[in-house]
Amino acid sequence: MKTQRVADIAVGCFVALFGIFVLFASTWISVAGVHRLSPRTFPHVVGLLLVCCGIGLALKSWTLRGEDFAIAWPDGVGIRTITVTLVSLAGYIALMDPLGLPLSTFLYLTFAIWYLNRSRWLMALTIGLITGVISYVLFIRLLGLSFPAGVLFEG
Amino acid sequence: MGFSFDYLLQGFATALSVQNLFWALVGCFIGTLVGVLPGIGPVSGIAILLPLTTVLPPTSAIIMMAAIYYGAMYGGSTTAILVNIPGEASSVPTAIDGYEMAKQGKAGPALAISAIASFVAGTLSVIALTFFAPMLAEFAVVFGPPEYFALMFMGLSLVISLSGRALLKGLISMALGLGAALIGQDPLTGAARLTFGTVTLNAGVDFISVIVGLFAISEVMINVEQRIVAISEMKITNWMPTCWADIKQCRWTMIRCTAVGFFLGLLPGCAPSVTTFVAYDLEKRLSKHPERFGKGAIEGVCAPEGANNATSTAGFVPLFSFGLPTAPSMAILLGGLMMYGLQPGPMLFAQNPQFVWAVIASMYIGNVMLLILNLPLVGMWAKIVNIPFYILGPIIVFCAVVGTYSIRFQAFDVWVMLLFGVLGYFMRKLGFPVAPMVLASVLAQMLETALGQALLISQGSVLIFFSRPISAVFMGLAFLSIGRGIWAQVRAKAPEVALEDPD
Repeated sequence: MKTQRVADIAVGCFVALFGIFVLFASTWISVAGVHRLSPRTFPHVVGLLLVCCGIGLALKSWTLRGEDFAIAWPDGVGIRTITVTLVSLAGYIALMDPLGLPLSTFLYLTFAIWYLNRSRWLMALTIGLITGVISYVLFIRLLGLSFPAGVLFEG
Repeated sequence: MGFSFDYLLQGFATALSVQNLFWALVGCFIGTLVGVLPGIGPVSGIAILLPLTTVLPPTSAIIMMAAIYYGAMYGGSTTAILVNIPGEASSVPTAIDGYEMAKQGKAGPALAISAIASFVAGTLSVIALTFFAPMLAEFAVVFGPPEYFALMFMGLSLVISLSGRALLKGLISMALGLGAALIGQDPLTGAARLTFGTVTLNAGVDFISVIVGLFAISEVMINVEQRIVAISEMKITNWMPTCWADIKQCRWTMIRCTAVGFFLGLLPGCAPSVTTFVAYDLEKRLSKHPERFGKGAIEGVCAPEGANNATSTAGFVPLFSFGLPTAPSMAILLGGLMMYGLQPGPMLFAQNPQFVWAVIASMYIGNVMLLILNLPLVGMWAKIVNIPFYILGPIIVFCAVVGTYSIRFQAFDVWVMLLFGVLGYFMRKLGFPVAPMVLASVLAQMLETALGQALLISQGSVLIFFSRPISAVFMGLAFLSIGRGIWAQVRAKAPEVALEDPD
């Protein structure tokens, strides 16, 4: 998928297949009683739209004979940085309920800032700590929002 | 229900309460901040903060959200002028002459005229909004479900203009947005749809998770990939001076760009990113010295800056009168109104006059606040672009997580945000427009409910949409827009690539 044309063909096919899946999944929706607008109608429209537009995109790109250009995919370092960023975000979300907002925020920010600039670990620690404390004071204590306080602050 | 000075004065009384003044100031501050920072725009800013505002009364919350939107239009010019990086898509034409002026040592006059033009256009547009919105709402009060469906359908046909050259990709993006909004219980029958038997999906996918993921998370991913260290390391000096001669020179430009921005902004799909170019082009054509444009003409800064503020204010006219969002930011504000149980559309003026007039009145006050924030404090805003991305990126993610978690206080919504962040990243890489997805995810439920009710009235006949004059006009305009898009698509001989997403 290095060029726009090839990527559009591949994505068009994938979207069409996804549309078929949506159409198939819509048949599982139960239709009890008589309705002027069945609960299946909109999902069917979405599925059909995906199938038609996916096929249309693939065909249009297949027959395209005009200019084509390369897609700016990330290099090896870029892929690694994005992956670590996403995994750390996933970890942040996963730890939110068991550890609470302040502690998980502290851990996430310290790690993410350190990872993006490793020479500044003390700054990462300080910002992580300050943001963790602010998240507790502002969102849990002052605004009284139902964020998990976590093991450090519960009770 | 029409315009009355009593309502407006009552609105001012509400907007001038200490609490509402404070939240308007917070909104103006955040708006300028998100405008200054490339990478987080008004769409992400409003979407992240919307769930957090549940602790506020509806009036204060919407006053703040509106201030973020029009505040971002003020802030977007700072980086465009100083470092040639537009904070928002609508600031692109500002960068053309603004950066040239900065290179010639005239950054101060450029920044000052940008703030003054924004203030003049913003204030004139709020005056127009004050009279236009209730007038249109009075007309729209006769709307029933068929008219609403036709209006929403016309709103969805915006996808054509939001897609640029990528119509098929825009339609796919729209279908994905509709699909995401359909997950959960059917609003009319209560049947579970696309939930695959899981209880968590029964509550549905909230549009805020979708929007924050698509805009904020995908933007962080793009910046991380490009290993951006800081937006700029430029030191800013000499930012304040301006003279009356500049203002006098631009006085008619300010009036013209307000008219262009406001009236084009009333049309669905005319985002600030479009009207700023129109205003810039018009000014160049009318100028006695068009050769100065592109080389540091002060009118070239004034015109787009005024136009984007006029357009952003004009967007509130169809939102308040019809409940029709004309841009992604407006779609989120519409979602905000619904979140607070307010009925968007003409009944808003009849049922909640205190609310709607307070929001309008707050815009007059907000424009004054923004002038104060942007004229003497522009040096402070300019320094914000020096914050390194390795700090800014994780803090944006933190704000996004907190904002999304607070929708329903469930980690599920944050997982959805992450999923749509990845989807948004790939969509941007592959040239898919993101705006149609936002629009569809917000309009889906209203569209389906209006269709169901209209079919109930007509006993299943779709002819109802063509036999009632107002709905017939809306349907006609929608089909015209779709037909034009298809025609343009058939004639295009280039790969499908989306334009920059409008604000």
